[in-house]
Amino acid sequence: MNTETAPVKPGFIYSRPKKVIRLHWFNAICWLVLTLSGLGIIRGSLRFMPVGYAEWLQNTVGGQFNLIVGHSLLGLLWAGVFALFVLFNWTSVVWPFLKKVLSITPMSVLRDMYEMVVDIAKLFGLLKSVKLAPPGRYNGAQRLLGTMIIGSSMAIALTGTLMFVLFLLTPMTVDGAVFRWSLVAHAFFVGLVYIGLVAHIYYALIEEPESLQSMTDGYLEEGYVKRHCPAWYDELKKEGRV
Amino acid sequence: MPKKYVMLVDTERCVNCKACEVSCRAEWNTPLGYSRNWVSEVMAVDPNGMPTLSLLSGRCMHCDSPPCVAACPTGASYKRDDGIVLVDRDLCTGCEFCIDPCPYNARFRDPTDGMISKCTFCQPRIDAGEEPACVHVCFTRALMFGDANDPSSEVARRLAEGTWQRLVTTEVDVGPNLYYSKGTQFDATVLPQKKSPTVAAQTLAVVNPGLKIGLGGMLGLFGAAGVLKLVKRKEEVASHEH
Repeated sequence: MNTETAPVKPGFIYSRPKKVIRLHWFNAICWLVLTLSGLGIIRGSLRFMPVGYAEWLQNTVGGQFNLIVGHSLLGLLWAGVFALFVLFNWTSVVWPFLKKVLSITPMSVLRDMYEMVVDIAKLFGLLKSVKLAPPGRYNGAQRLLGTMIIGSSMAIALTGTLMFVLFLLTPMTVDGAVFRWSLVAHAFFVGLVYIGLVAHIYYALIEEPESLQSMTDGYLEEGYVKRHCPAWYDELKKEGRV
Repeated sequence: MPKKYVMLVDTERCVNCKACEVSCRAEWNTPLGYSRNWVSEVMAVDPNGMPTLSLLSGRCMHCDSPPCVAACPTGASYKRDDGIVLVDRDLCTGCEFCIDPCPYNARFRDPTDGMISKCTFCQPRIDAGEEPACVHVCFTRALMFGDANDPSSEVARRLAEGTWQRLVTTEVDVGPNLYYSKGTQFDATVLPQKKSPTVAAQTLAVVNPGLKIGLGGMLGLFGAAGVLKLVKRKEEVASHEH
């Protein structure tokens, strides 16, 4: 991260640049609107929400066609902004982030799952004596969540784009199974992200409000970093950034 | 009282001339090898041991509880207030979720445009005050069409005679609105069949409640953690005050 250009704030560590913060909140707003509109699109026995919600939303926006097109265009904007961000910030932000957050080997997944279970148990006063390896920038649960969200988001963008293309263009020779399975995958991955978001929002609001604060100004309290991310703190110390 | 369009098929009058099929294909330009209506031949043996041949003109039954409408994820399949089941071509994606739930095999995917095709009771003709094309050309008057809720209509008078039966079984009765002459022999080839939904629909039927359970579980887990934290915080405050 670009610590050199950030203004120094005594007792705080500059943890993320403004563009990452803006991207995070853009993502959050898009997710909220896309979820609300998406839940209004799915009709029939496959729906997730009461019929009344879909009817109200469709009437509000002037019909199902408008709702589908609006949802899809916002989805494309969301995916497009992320694609551009990745393209223009690959070496400075994206790749360093991915190196820290991705958990893809079976061993790392198992280790992170173990850490996640212990962390959740500790919320209830259980497994207090279990010692975990000092976490770096991200702990096991955060790595799993991050990996799941990155993978799911790519699947959501891909299946959403595919369904929009099939919806707009006459399906013609494309087998109906392509749309059917895209819809299944789209719904599955969106649900999966929401299951993870419960934990993400809980920790941000209740357990670690300091991290929420850093998602507004980019700074984390030095004491918080020392307590919650000791390995990262040591790393920063070695680099002379604290 | 709202209209309720029904069709009566007097099987004793049908001579299997196929004029209904030809007129339908001409009206809707259905591709070769596909038809929105058909005439089924059912051979049976009467109580006297004599062979019988029943001719059943079939098409979409415009059911009171259409399973195709319930299965459509975009709301493209819908039922009008007058009972006609239609497919909105602007919303149809050709996903075929609706094809298997139809117990009468009345739907198919038109290979020329990828859309779902089915009998519409010739809705544009009806809206213009005309009869469906098949009824119009049926020279033996085996087909009758009209508003069952209008006591002055021919179909209402004929239905009141009670000499009609619907193509239903004890397992499958979705309220079809095609009536056949009483005493017509049915066999397994024409009786409605409950078919397994597509694998994608079955998967979604598991994914949907699975995600709800997962999300509910996470909300419960972290909700409990939040309550626990609140209780602990209150105890801490109380102990500080003492």
